[in-house]
Formats: sequence, C-alpha cells, structure tokens
Amino acid sequence: MAIRLKPVDVAVVGLGAAGGVAVLPLTRAGLKVAGIEAGTWIDIHTFKPDEIYNNVRSLVTTSDKAKREIPTFRRTDRDRAVQGTNAPMMNAIGGTSIHYHAQSWRYSPWDFRVRTASIQRYGANSIPKGSSLEDWPVAYDELEDFYDRVEYEIGVSGRAGNIMGKIDPRGNVYEGPRRRDFPMPPLRDTDFTDMMAAAARKQGWKPFRGPAAINSQPYQGRPGCAYHGYCDRGGCHINAKNSTAVTTIPEALKTKNLKIFDKAQVTRIETDANAKVTGVTYIRERREYFQPAKVVLVASYTYENVRLLFLSKSKAYPGGLSNNHGQVGRHYFGHWDAQAGTGVSALFPFDLNIWYGAIAQNCTVEEFADDNFDHTGLGFIGGATIQVNTEKHPIGAAAMSTYGRAPAWGSKWKAFVRENAGRWVSSYIQCNTFPYENTYLDLDPDTKDPLGDPVCRITSGTKDSEPKQAVYTGQKMEAWFRAAGAVEVTEARTPPGPSTTTHAFGGTRMGADPETNVVDQFGFSHEAPNLGILGASTFGTSGARNPTLTVQALAWRTAEHLVKNWKSIG
Amino acid sequence: MKRDKDISRRTVLASTAFVPIAALTASAQSAATALSAEQLKTLEAFIDRLCPKDDIGPGAVEIGAAIYIDRVLAGPNAAEKSAFLDGLANVESLARSAHNMSFAELSPTLRDQLLTRLENTPFFNRVRRLTLEGMFSDPYYGGNRNFAGWDLIRYPGPRLAVAPEDQKMSTPPKPYRRSAYGNKA
Repeated sequence: MAIRLKPVDVAVVGLGAAGGVAVLPLTRAGLKVAGIEAGTWIDIHTFKPDEIYNNVRSLVTTSDKAKREIPTFRRTDRDRAVQGTNAPMMNAIGGTSIHYHAQSWRYSPWDFRVRTASIQRYGANSIPKGSSLEDWPVAYDELEDFYDRVEYEIGVSGRAGNIMGKIDPRGNVYEGPRRRDFPMPPLRDTDFTDMMAAAARKQGWKPFRGPAAINSQPYQGRPGCAYHGYCDRGGCHINAKNSTAVTTIPEALKTKNLKIFDKAQVTRIETDANAKVTGVTYIRERREYFQPAKVVLVASYTYENVRLLFLSKSKAYPGGLSNNHGQVGRHYFGHWDAQAGTGVSALFPFDLNIWYGAIAQNCTVEEFADDNFDHTGLGFIGGATIQVNTEKHPIGAAAMSTYGRAPAWGSKWKAFVRENAGRWVSSYIQCNTFPYENTYLDLDPDTKDPLGDPVCRITSGTKDSEPKQAVYTGQKMEAWFRAAGAVEVTEARTPPGPSTTTHAFGGTRMGADPETNVVDQFGFSHEAPNLGILGASTFGTSGARNPTLTVQALAWRTAEHLVKNWKSIG
Repeated sequence: MKRDKDISRRTVLASTAFVPIAALTASAQSAATALSAEQLKTLEAFIDRLCPKDDIGPGAVEIGAAIYIDRVLAGPNAAEKSAFLDGLANVESLARSAHNMSFAELSPTLRDQLLTRLENTPFFNRVRRLTLEGMFSDPYYGGNRNFAGWDLIRYPGPRLAVAPEDQKMSTPPKPYRRSAYGNKA
C-alpha cells in the first residue's frame, strides 16, 4: 500500500534540464511544487578531469534508473529489438544538464514551420516521403521572449547575429531576431577555431562561435570557464557550466515553495474517473509513495516520458495515459540514427593543440542548415549545421583512424600515433531531422526493468530526406577541412542505423490537432487537461542544432501558461 | 590577455578542493587482479606486439597496460572477464597447435603472424581497446606508468585551468605530469 503524501499544487517528474527550469516560474508565482527526481545532488568534488571516469565508464550519474531501462531498438516492425548498451541520459538533480556539452541554441524560425515553408518554396512534393511532418503550433516569435528569459536566467554566452533585424556578421546571421545581445560574450577563440574560421571565410561562408550555457566570464557569482577539456560527459568542477542544479533549482528553493524528493522513481501517473490526473506513484528506497497533485508535469527524458505514459494505463486511458488517439510514441525521431553523425574527420600536417577547451568552444557554419540555401533539384529539404570543436582526450585521440597511412598495431602504428594523435579532429554535423510513419516508440514485449515494467522500444526505419542531407553536408565539411589544410579526410558516411540517442525527439508531439498530436501548443495534454509534458518529446522537428535551450524555453512557457490559467487547469 | 589570466588564476584558487585524496574510491585503488601468472604472461606477449618497446621508447607492457587490464577485469569490467579469459586461452591453444609452444615463448615474428590471423576478431579489438585505455588513462588506474603514454602522444596532462597560451598551436603547452588524483610524478 502506497504511503499517501500531503497534496501539492504541482508534481514535476524529473528535475533535469526541463523540470529544473519549470519549477522556477511555478514557485515564484507561489504554487507549491513537489520535484520528484530519480537521482540526487552530485557533489562537484566528484567531477574529475578523467577520461575513464567520464567517457569510458560514464560515472557522472547518481542513479542507476537510466541504466536499468535502456531502450531496445530495431529497424522495422518485423525485427526483434536489441537492448542498447549505454544509457543515453542520466538521473540527478540537474539531470543531463550536468554533463551535457551545454551548446545552447535557439531554433531557427524555419524549424517551427518546415512544412509550410517547404511547400511554399518547393511545392508539395518536397515534403519527405513517408514523413508525418507538421508545423509546430508555436512560432519562433512567440518563443523569443522565453528564449531570452532562459538565456539570462541560467547564463548563455555567445555573440548575436541578429538583434531586432540588425545583422552582425560576427554572430550567426541566420538566427531569428533576438531582442538583445547574449548576457555574456562567446567563449574565447583559439588558434584552431581561428584557423577553421579563416578557412570557412575563404569558402565564402560566415562562421561564428556557437552559443553555450557556459560562463565566458563570471556570472551570477559563478566563475568563467577554465577550458580544462573535460566538459563532455563531465560535470563542471567550478560550476561554470550552467546546469539547472546551480541555476534555476537553487533559485526555486529560495522561494520555499519547492520540495525535492530525490532518489524517487516515478512508476505511474494516476488518473480518476473524470480522466484527470490525480498525482504520481513513486518508489523510494523500496517503499511506495503516492504524491497527490492538482497538476502533473512530466519532465523526464523522451524515452522515459513516453514509457511512463504507456505504463500509466487506467480505465479512462486503456492504451496508456493521454493515448486515446493512439499518438503516444508516434512521430519519434533522433539526430543520430538519420545522419552521418561524426563520420567526417581530418588529419592535418601539424599539431592542432585541441586537447583543452570544451565541445562548446567551437566554430560553426550554418550555410547548409535549414533552408539557408536553394534546395531546387536536390531531392531533400533541410541540411545540417557543420561544426568543429576543441576538447580531445588521450584515449580517444590514440584510438584514431590511421587514414590508411599505417597499420593498426605494431611499431609503425606507434610511430604514427606519436606523430598524429594531436593532429586529427572530428566534426560535429547535426541534420535537420523529421518524423516518419515508420519510426516510433512503444513498450518492448520482451525486455523489462527489475520492477517488471517493459522498457521503451525504438523502431526506426529508413528515411527519405536525411541520408541525402548527411551526404551533402558531409561533403561541405570535407571541403572545409581541405580548405584549412587537412591532408586526409574521411569520406561522408551513410547513416549508422537505429540506436538510443541523447537527441531524441517526438513521441508526445505538440500540435493543434488532437488526432495527430499528444499535447497542445502550451504543452498540455489534449486528453488529460491537468497533465503537462516537457522536453524534446514534444518537438515536431529536430533543428540542425542541440535541443536543450528550446526544451527550456518551452518549459518556462508551459509553466507560465499554468500560472496564468491556474484556476481553469489546477 | 591579462584579464583572462586573472580569471584562470581565480578559477584555480576557487577549485583548490578539487579531488581530495579522500575521494579515492576503494575499487579503483584496489590492487585486486583477475589473471593468473600464466594468463598475464600471454596478455603481455600479446600487447607487447600491439605497441612494442623500440627506439621511440617503452611499449604497452612497460607503460603498464597489462596491469590496467588485469585490474579492470577484477573490478569494473568483471562482466567481460570470462569471455576475456576464453580469448586468451584461444590464443594460447593456437600457439600450441601451430608451434607446440606457449604464445609467450614465440618469437616476435611468430607472434605477429598469429595475431595477424586474429586481427579484426572481437577479442583482438577488445584487447587493442583495453591496451589503449591502459596506456593513455590516468596513472591512477595502474597504467600510463611515469606518464609514458601521455608523453608518447604529447598529451600535456589534465590541468584544472587552462590559459589562452595553453591553447596556442605554435607553442604547445608544457607537459604537466600529474594525475587527476593528485600524486605528482
């Protein structure tokens, strides 16, 4: 029998990048919030400049929940799914915003209206075959206010390319108009990023430093980045990375309206006969609790959000919570299973000295993303952001390709890595990706977690547009490397196939039509009026860029909508 | 430039509590091992061919990669121990059937011949991967003895804070031979 807790106004499931932001506007408005998180606080003294700890063993996490429910994946519904080996996400107060790259992008205005814009410019046949692409129910201009608030609240460094229509070529000239500059200048340049920027300009492109939720100078009492090169899958040892654990969550705690329940794994969202949600059931240290709440905001990761809805079956929702239209799990897509990923790398005839820095210390080109170029006759829409980064670790560096110039072992290999481990660099290519009918999430019939609940299953079929985007932009990346003086460049590869991913989108898509979407434009369920869903599971397109800032802007918007409409929703 | 330097210095000062010795965990410190003396010999004879000692300097064995592998198989990688031991036994039996000798007793040329046959098998790739980990990981884990792995590839070592000069291409940073866990070489 579950222990029944004192009712609260809002239960937030997951205090990561999304929930960690949403709790701030809620608690500032005076709502009583229970933040229910599978992980707990992480002591920054456990963050180490140690590749084994961060990258080989993935130890920057306080909870095994994510590891116990790693999704399975398969290509088609005729295949048997196999379980992944890596948990794509982590559990902690602050969630994955603790060990992410902190690339903190706004989506482009085009990302929100891909369908309409593509039909207008290229005709109805341009929509990728087999896709279920829709425009978002929210436009860039409506989200701009929330982007701005999050950027200033958590701290984002960067250089504006478009302030209210005034273009600055030192920033991203393709970004949507912003009301003001970033709160901090971009992370510093290096010889390497300068070299790549010069090569991009030689191609006629307009390179720039990407935005980062990393302090480039002291901000709100926390120091600027130390550039020590252990940012990827590592927590920040000086709190210069602006995870929600050091920004919005502590601010929300100051209001005294947030109570955190850590090490608590939510197993079900409960529902009453009127089809409203009544609270959440969770397990903490082998005991079961029920937290009653007037409103539930689900803010775990894409796979966890979808899985929790499927697991929360009831009389009102026999096929899973908010799934009476059969849309939960549909319109799923991932950045990596559709594209070449980091398939393009280059060898230079000189030392690059990119050992230190951060992935977010980068040089980025957007000429081939979105609809920033004419696609007539190309047979695809969208493209990719192409980018190079600093931060290289010794094991990863030595595990390099020998580019056909040396064997993979022996004295010749040793001489090769001695010369070249510090002379090669990979690229970061993120395609615009879209939802397809053949790609979806459901529960795996065979693989279960230790509680006996099925894990999430990914079915990810072949795509029409993305493989062509990947090849096209991979060739641009290759040209960029050659222009910078690379002597070897690996070829652009075909897509790697389905897997779990840290950039997983859809499954509870946001849209005006309840027949094809799970949540409305404010992130609330079309079916259960007091259930909100936060995170990239609500996205209808991926953007050619990292999703977290958009997750956070939407989280703030959902929370503000709830505050403004508390009487009708709560 | 000066301002940047000040910030770096401040961040260093702000992080003096970085990884206290007390944070050392029992598992990583433990000298528990997984391999018998014979198995260790086979492994060393194997990884010695992946990265031999030569004019350039010490090889995988001298750098301590076998110690790293022996320890992780007894600890964090225990799940793969039995498959790994099977792989070693297979190498040994190939040597016996081809040359009627233990793998470790074979000449470098014969060992290379045998390993070439195993190239691209999952076991070969796994030994190669773990050898890289042992050579280039923090010395805390038992390999990368005297920072010889990092010196080989000119990795300048983990620093708590990195100045703009340390990211220059023309003047590589001076090696900073220090474990993230504090034991200075």
